[in-house]
Amino acid sequence: MASHGLAYDGCNFFRQRLVLSTLSGKRVKIKNIRSKDDNPGLRDFEASLIRLLDKVTNGSIIEINQTGTVLFYQPGLLYGGSVEHDCNLQRSVGYYLEALLMLAPFMKTSLKATLRGVTNDPRDPTVDMLKSTALPLMKKFGIDGEGFDLKVVKRGMAPGGGGEVVFTCPVRRTIRPVQLTDPAKIKRIRGVAYSVRVSPQMANRIVESARGVLNQFIPDIYIYTDHMKGANSGKSPGFGLTLVAETLNGSFLSAEMSSMPQGQGDPKLPEDLGRDCAKLLLEEVHRGGCVDSSNQSLALLLMTLGQQDVSKVLLGPLSPYTIEFLRHIRDFFQLMFKIEVQKPSEDERKGGDKVLMTCVGVGYSNINKTIK
Amino acid sequence: MDGKVKEQKRHQQKHSGPKAERKKLKKQEGSTEEDGRKRNPKAFSVQSAVRMAKTFHRSQDIKTKKHHIPHVDRTPLEPPPIVIVVVGPPKVGKSTLIRCLIKNFTRQKLGDICGPVTIVSGKKRRLTFMECNNDINTMIDLAKVADLVLMLIDASFGFEMETFEFLNICQVHGFPRIMGVLTHLDSFKNNKTLRKTKKNLKHRFWTEVYQGAKLFYLSGMVYGEYQIQEVKNLGRFISVMKFRPLVWQTSHPYVLVDRMEDLTDPERVRTDPKCDRTVSLYGYLRGTHLKNKGQVHIPGVGDFQVADVNFLPDPCALPEAQKKRALNEKERLLYAPMAGVGGVVYDKDAVYIDLPASHVNQQQEEVRPTTELVQSLIDTHATLDAKMAASKVSLFSGSATLDSTDVGEHSGEEGPREECVWDPNTQRKRRKVVFTEKEEEDVSGSSDDDEDGDVDSEDGDQEEQEEDEDEDNLSTFLKDARAESDETEKTVTDAPPAKKQKVEGGKKRGEESAEVPAFADSEDDLEMSEEESEEEGENVRAGDSGHCSEEDEEESGDDDDGEEEEDDKEESEDESMEEDDAAGATMKKQTASESEEEEEEQGGLRWKEGLQQKASEAFLRQQKAAPNLRKLVYGSVVEADDSDDEEQELGGLFRVSRPQNSKKSQANGVDSSRFDPDASHNWDLEEMLNSIRDCFVTGKWEEDQDAATLLKEDEELYGDFEDLETGKVHKGQTGEQDQAENSENDEDDADDDDNESLVKVDDDEVQKKKRLEKKQRLKERFNAEYDDEDATYFDDLKEEMQKQAELNRAEFADVDDETRVQYEGFRPGMYVRLEISSLPCEFVTNFDPHYPIILGGLGASEGNVGYLQMRLKKHRWYHRILKTRDPLILSLGWRRFQTIPLYHIEDHNGRHRLLKYTPQHMHCGASIWGPVTPQGTGFLAVQSVAGTKANFRIAATGVILDLDKSVTIVKKLKLIGYPYKIFKNTSFIKGMFNTVLEVAKFEGASVRTVSGVRGQIKKALSTPPGAYRATFEDRLLMSDVVFLRSWYPVSVPQLYNPVTSLLLPAGQKDSWAGMRTLGQLKHDLGIRNKPNTDSLYKPVVRAPRHFNRLHIPKELQKALPFKSKPKQQQPKGKTPRDLQRPSVIREPHEKKVAALLLALSTVHNHKRKKAHTAQHAKHKEFLQQKEKLEEAKLKRQKEARKKLYRIQGQVDQKKSRSSLKGAPQDD
Repeated sequence: MASHGLAYDGCNFFRQRLVLSTLSGKRVKIKNIRSKDDNPGLRDFEASLIRLLDKVTNGSIIEINQTGTVLFYQPGLLYGGSVEHDCNLQRSVGYYLEALLMLAPFMKTSLKATLRGVTNDPRDPTVDMLKSTALPLMKKFGIDGEGFDLKVVKRGMAPGGGGEVVFTCPVRRTIRPVQLTDPAKIKRIRGVAYSVRVSPQMANRIVESARGVLNQFIPDIYIYTDHMKGANSGKSPGFGLTLVAETLNGSFLSAEMSSMPQGQGDPKLPEDLGRDCAKLLLEEVHRGGCVDSSNQSLALLLMTLGQQDVSKVLLGPLSPYTIEFLRHIRDFFQLMFKIEVQKPSEDERKGGDKVLMTCVGVGYSNINKTIK
Repeated sequence: MDGKVKEQKRHQQKHSGPKAERKKLKKQEGSTEEDGRKRNPKAFSVQSAVRMAKTFHRSQDIKTKKHHIPHVDRTPLEPPPIVIVVVGPPKVGKSTLIRCLIKNFTRQKLGDICGPVTIVSGKKRRLTFMECNNDINTMIDLAKVADLVLMLIDASFGFEMETFEFLNICQVHGFPRIMGVLTHLDSFKNNKTLRKTKKNLKHRFWTEVYQGAKLFYLSGMVYGEYQIQEVKNLGRFISVMKFRPLVWQTSHPYVLVDRMEDLTDPERVRTDPKCDRTVSLYGYLRGTHLKNKGQVHIPGVGDFQVADVNFLPDPCALPEAQKKRALNEKERLLYAPMAGVGGVVYDKDAVYIDLPASHVNQQQEEVRPTTELVQSLIDTHATLDAKMAASKVSLFSGSATLDSTDVGEHSGEEGPREECVWDPNTQRKRRKVVFTEKEEEDVSGSSDDDEDGDVDSEDGDQEEQEEDEDEDNLSTFLKDARAESDETEKTVTDAPPAKKQKVEGGKKRGEESAEVPAFADSEDDLEMSEEESEEEGENVRAGDSGHCSEEDEEESGDDDDGEEEEDDKEESEDESMEEDDAAGATMKKQTASESEEEEEEQGGLRWKEGLQQKASEAFLRQQKAAPNLRKLVYGSVVEADDSDDEEQELGGLFRVSRPQNSKKSQANGVDSSRFDPDASHNWDLEEMLNSIRDCFVTGKWEEDQDAATLLKEDEELYGDFEDLETGKVHKGQTGEQDQAENSENDEDDADDDDNESLVKVDDDEVQKKKRLEKKQRLKERFNAEYDDEDATYFDDLKEEMQKQAELNRAEFADVDDETRVQYEGFRPGMYVRLEISSLPCEFVTNFDPHYPIILGGLGASEGNVGYLQMRLKKHRWYHRILKTRDPLILSLGWRRFQTIPLYHIEDHNGRHRLLKYTPQHMHCGASIWGPVTPQGTGFLAVQSVAGTKANFRIAATGVILDLDKSVTIVKKLKLIGYPYKIFKNTSFIKGMFNTVLEVAKFEGASVRTVSGVRGQIKKALSTPPGAYRATFEDRLLMSDVVFLRSWYPVSVPQLYNPVTSLLLPAGQKDSWAGMRTLGQLKHDLGIRNKPNTDSLYKPVVRAPRHFNRLHIPKELQKALPFKSKPKQQQPKGKTPRDLQRPSVIREPHEKKVAALLLALSTVHNHKRKKAHTAQHAKHKEFLQQKEKLEEAKLKRQKEARKKLYRIQGQVDQKKSRSSLKGAPQDD
């Protein structure tokens, strides 16, 4: 057949390419993966992602050259079902989960993925954050119902890991177009302060300091403390905080911070962490939009895959990751977004510039789902 | 009674009394209680709750049955022409009908109907007619794109197979509107048979389509055409017809190609006639949005990547909105380039003028809006031609290399040239006017084509050069010659500064966005100017429909002087524009582009002007620092991937040094979606905190959302209420306030009414306004509530869809087409030109416009091939069953392809068992290797597409269920073994397996003997290999055969063979033959299977039966009576000599005596015989006589008996009568 694949250089935005390739059915070839590096080729965590993709798909062809600097991926059909995966400890479960979130609604059978590894680390969005922001976001696109859940069974901090997450997602044939143009005002702030293998007091200290910052704005703050013990506490000590601001229209902005992994960098006091995390949330609020900065690409993807109707989403400033994602969407789906900057008026005190993204969906329909 | 009619008593109306009273009451009350329910409540009371529930259910059922799932209405505002496919067997009058309809709508006559013919039929409707020939390939293709099918039926003959085949194809691929047309009705002489035939045909047609489907009668021909009135009626029906959306058509973009041009380099064709061709195809886009660079399937050719898509001005445009009823003559357009009709045809880079032999002037006058332009074209091309010739001579006087075509490709410096193109279809020469100068650039600017993009900058430069040194052809030619080799040099030497930086800009685009804001700022104007120069090209094309010529340029050049002072202003506009967002910018571009163009034409001089202003503006811009996000994300959109190609191109000789390292390092960066916070924000500062105060519910609210104001509004609306218990009326606060205000006002007025009268008037107005507003709000609320009352889920859904549709329409309505196309793709209704490279050369060489070319867009992963699971049913009219693994031609989605299906059926335990043949009247599953197509898509299968056959050709129909190999098809495999040692219940079995390993795999499997003894495999034995021990429920015999029933998975053969019928030479297009079935192969090669000799019939040879003698024991013989005693059964032996009698030899005398005696006896015999016959006759007579007598006697006796009985009866009667009368009397 005449379908030519796409070719890319370098391993950056590796996930995006593989995910979009799987969804669009276009084969992709990635060359020069760390070819100039001392340690060339794919890293273990990337290989692990490929393995995960292989588990959820049926009939994919993956070819990697000897040094691992060239990857050829011809996607198969998304199969779903019950999947267990031991994620690599170099990256947290969030890295893998973000890819799964994009793929899960388009499987053949509903997905039940059990991912094991590092649940919280400073580099990737943590599981708690995805649970509190990505899931409600997906619900707006009509992906909800029974069995749409993300459960943290065990918490595992970097570098030891040992956490476990169960993600279940129903399948959809089509995705609804959305109009998320008004984020509305924040009505409450919730959060989870977690600590494992350290004193349970740590969580309380985090909560105290975070509240101190946020109380200037809104009184409705509740931060749960989550101290996991024994088998559920993973292999490494650590603590952290995830804050979520919910608006009247049901959009969620979140910020998070976790302690540095054991043995890397200098440790942070829980008070500092709480305060910094609260400031991160304020930064996120300053950016604003209906979707928080780490889920921008998920929202844009679901808009792209919607029916052939106009979807609109108001975002904060686009992150570099999102910008690259937009380019990739154009490569894979030939779809361009209309990007309009909305400047705040003079007397408004609602943070910085917002970006209104508009697109016409490509009319994607889940070809994996069986009809009876 | 004689005339005196007695008058009846009149009715006396009561005027008093109870009756009159009642009537009076009724009269009074009746008017008030019209409602039967109130007047007679008993009659409407609930008699039975069950019945009530039933009726309620029923009414609800009926109501909901009417509902359809609401869809978002995505029909474009200006829909594409409706595709009308005219189908029918040969010689039924298809072409005649099309001709008549075209004549009816446009008053034009058309000769040969060749390819699609598009006409404007009304103010809002265009029609495309397409004739469908009898080839099943064509029928399948056209059924997929048809909106309306005119099905012609020869009434004098009746239905033909083609009709039914086409109906079946339609049913599978979504059912378009079908209208039957009966022709040849004049061949019926008898009126009664005519009526009868009509009725029969109508009813048969109805059963196929739907009850009450429209069937038209074309009664007869007048001068070779159908009767005008009947055609008019048909046309009227067509022009008011409504269409239902079909699933496949509304989810895929498609183009019914009405024009094809070969763009391949003629030189390449000359050197290699079989080289792949680059072809541009034209047509109206239908279905849904088409994205550029998408994948398309051309049924009959294959899958192709679209190299480029542009939209062209509509060649058959609807009239502008005017308030009149009918179209005027000029608006009745006809466009059929394949049939050679349509006058001037504009292409992206060329204009085609169709010049019929002697009607040159006439033709041009007919084409109204373009007359002057065409005239100008013709005028200018002569002069430029001469110019070109001159330059050629002066420069390369001996070189044959610089011929016109070469120049055309490389330089783009010439004016319009004339090319004589032999059009094989119309059998005449067409004069092709090829624009190579300005137009070429426009092309390159707008197209994403790599080469064009490369040439672009260079072309731009050259253009300016040319403008500057208008006469100096020599220098331009030199430049041209050098163009490819030293492009970089050129950019350095002769490009204006803006241009020079463009290359870098293009490269930098790909950089990471971390450093992009700065880049975006610095590059903004450069990018813009570059983009504008591209846009300009497009705009020009869009604006004056692509026939921009030398004249235009000259004009603009002339105007330049006059417009110079405006330039500054426009420049400043440009600058300010960049601060806007992308969409705004692109909108303005159109206006700005012309000035830009002029600016460029002015060359190096202009850019110096207003430097100070520019500088100040740049400063301002940086202050504002609003990055143009669109450019930041997508780069300059039009040539998205040019930068890479440019690099490669340049790499030949020179390489522009550029900071690539950063890009490379970015390529292997950390892959995380985290967005690190802006370092400049310090959240300890109060102003930072203040900047987001309003994001929280505790902050300030907008005017229209503020709780206080909302509350107040509510009070205004709902403030008044009456306390029912106390009967006290509470007035709303505002009302009181108003009153208070009023009174205050009054007081004020009273105080100083003379000087404040003006204010009062204002106040009144304000009050009035307020009241109006209040009313409006109340009304809105009421409406909302009122609608809510009986709003159902369905209504909500419908409303939601409606809203979405409105949004879809409104979102891009005010964006110009160029930009819009980038966002939503090419929308249906546009006239598009698709360029496809690498089409097989047969497509061009064997092109036949009678066969439709369809470009069917493919969805996300529909370009891939994989396993498909389908549900299939053999067509009940197909006379054979289908065999597994026999190749079958499927029509699925856009495609027609040959594949090898495996048929299977699901057993009760979920096992998919392979079937050798399709079941007769049942669905079965089928698995194929084929193109990925969404589930639920219907397909049909034919065994061959070649030639015509007498019987029904559609072999099977079905639907796609699943797209992967989720079910494994198995076939039954029986392994046979023989016991070689038998113990009590245990036996050793051999011959079933070959190795111990095989046995190990089947340990525990159940086996059975033919006689039904069940058993189990226990363990392998060492010798002989493959033997095993098995236990059975009973003792086996050595003669038993043991078998193991197992299931063996079958793999689906990977054959996907697209039917390339369009590539076949003209006249043989219906003779595509793919892989043959096994049966056909054997038949063709004369191979016959060697049958099993046991199955052969042999002549029956029956040995004669031999019975043994019956042996009766002697004892028994003795006891038997003589009768039953066995006689001497042996034949008599020879008579002994003594018993033999001697033969008598007579003497002559004796002989004489004997002879005499013989004679005497013969005579005697004869006499006796005679006497006997006489006697016999006599006796017969006697018998007859006797019979007669007997008869008479019988008769007599009968009569006598009758008499007797009568008398007896009378006596009896008398007796009984008397007995009835009474015995005493008798006694």
